[in-house]
Amino acid sequence: MDGIRVGKRLIGTQAPVIVGWENIPRVEGGPLKQFIFTWFQPTVLFALIAFWYYAPHSIAKASTAIGIGIGFKLLLLALEWVNPRYESWRLTWKELVTDLFYVGLGYTLLNMIEKYIGSDAVIEAVQHSFNWDKLAWFTGLPLLLQAFLISFIFDFGQYWMHRAMHNWYPLWLPHSVHHYITQLNINKGAVGNPVELFLIGLGIGGFFDFLPRALLLAGAIGLAVGTYQHINVRFNTPRWWRFVFNTTEHHSLHHSQDFEATRSNYSGTYIFIDRMFGTCIDGEAELLGMEGGRRMSIREQMTYPFTEGWKTIKARFDKGQFDQPVPAE
Amino acid sequence: MNARFINWIWHIRGSLALAPQQSSEEAFGRLAPLFRQPGTSHDRMHDTLTFRKKDQAAQDKMSIFDGGVLRIEKGVAGPVLHYHLTSRALLFCFLAPLLFLGFAQATLAIGKLEKPAIEAAGRKSPEKKAAALPQNPIDKALGAPAPEKPEKDGAGKSEEDRKKPSPTSAYVFAAIFAALYVAGRILEDKLVRTLFRKSLRGS
Repeated sequence: MDGIRVGKRLIGTQAPVIVGWENIPRVEGGPLKQFIFTWFQPTVLFALIAFWYYAPHSIAKASTAIGIGIGFKLLLLALEWVNPRYESWRLTWKELVTDLFYVGLGYTLLNMIEKYIGSDAVIEAVQHSFNWDKLAWFTGLPLLLQAFLISFIFDFGQYWMHRAMHNWYPLWLPHSVHHYITQLNINKGAVGNPVELFLIGLGIGGFFDFLPRALLLAGAIGLAVGTYQHINVRFNTPRWWRFVFNTTEHHSLHHSQDFEATRSNYSGTYIFIDRMFGTCIDGEAELLGMEGGRRMSIREQMTYPFTEGWKTIKARFDKGQFDQPVPAE
Repeated sequence: MNARFINWIWHIRGSLALAPQQSSEEAFGRLAPLFRQPGTSHDRMHDTLTFRKKDQAAQDKMSIFDGGVLRIEKGVAGPVLHYHLTSRALLFCFLAPLLFLGFAQATLAIGKLEKPAIEAAGRKSPEKKAAALPQNPIDKALGAPAPEKPEKDGAGKSEEDRKKPSPTSAYVFAAIFAALYVAGRILEDKLVRTLFRKSLRGS
């Protein structure tokens, strides 16, 4: 495969990828379908922002946010059924069960652990040891600006954590497991080694004092944008949206079987962070995964970072012991 | 008495009548593409086909199965295909509710252990300033509700509520997996039957 030159890099030499918006397939069907799948994403985003901006205090609670999150995912599951991006990404019973197992771990086991050693604990410790009243000015900013700053700071941290995962072997080991998924579905974001899910949960957005409503707004932006990273729905994503936000198109390229293509589109919500640092590639891929698309079992996903890490350490150690010394010149 | 009483949980058995004139050679020939998948190995001995799957692709139509035996026998009305397939995915889905019930119990146990500590902390935490939170003029002009005093600045009670680990999500996931198991056991049984029938007909 020849590949396509993007800046200094050759993309798609190992597996087929699509580069450039003009080459990406569009929604097929009548005018109503075209309309729905063109405007769905912006409509939901602005509706959620308006809801959280104006909702009375009795409704503007975390429990409402959880309810909306679950309802939204169920709706997206229905959309995956109606208008899949790729037939080969079609959700099967086994894929659904596997994905939900990871979602379940997130809601139960990881939740428990996070409380003690994760970001919850870190934020609490830091907030207790400093006088954070100094940051009270933050709460005086316009609500939407607060919400944007919370989600941007969080995503900026995620960008660098994610980029580090792709560039530093000890961090790559726990993250690699997530790259063995061979299709994108709405719960695929939860699939990965628990160690990674813990690492990616470490954010810095929580350090500021902010209005609770701003946090709910930031969460809504994350929900209405970040969820589309892993989803099997064909949208005619508006031009401005794909310039600012991360999309399925960007993230499918990040998950492609082509090594060079995976080293792009690291952000979770704001793709312009990738544009700022030169890691953005606009495109799409259907063939996803590692090792030519080998699907990893849950058991291997749980143990792989440790067994691979051990193999690497052992190989290094053995090499050090048994290699013939290089004669001095 | 025998394993059959339990192993229906992850074993799927069934039989399909072949067309009277269809030879086993021809029948297996038509089924062959199903076993030419990445991660699948198969052997054929006379009228029996045995297959194994490892790291099967999500796109594999039989990805839920890890192994199985297909046998063609002569029946009274003509040749019959008997199949016996095993699925670890079904077994794990059957067991998953137990795992999540375990998490629920663990959550409750941790909650009990922690209760005294939280109560002590709750009593100690002093009442913080009750000053009203600022609202930006822009938000006021646009009509957003004025910010309420955050609950965590109030009494220790809400903090306690917030921190109390809840087993609800674990129970919900246990129920989801129980429902998914029932759905999967029925659905996958039907799907594989349809798949074999369609392949044998060559459509």
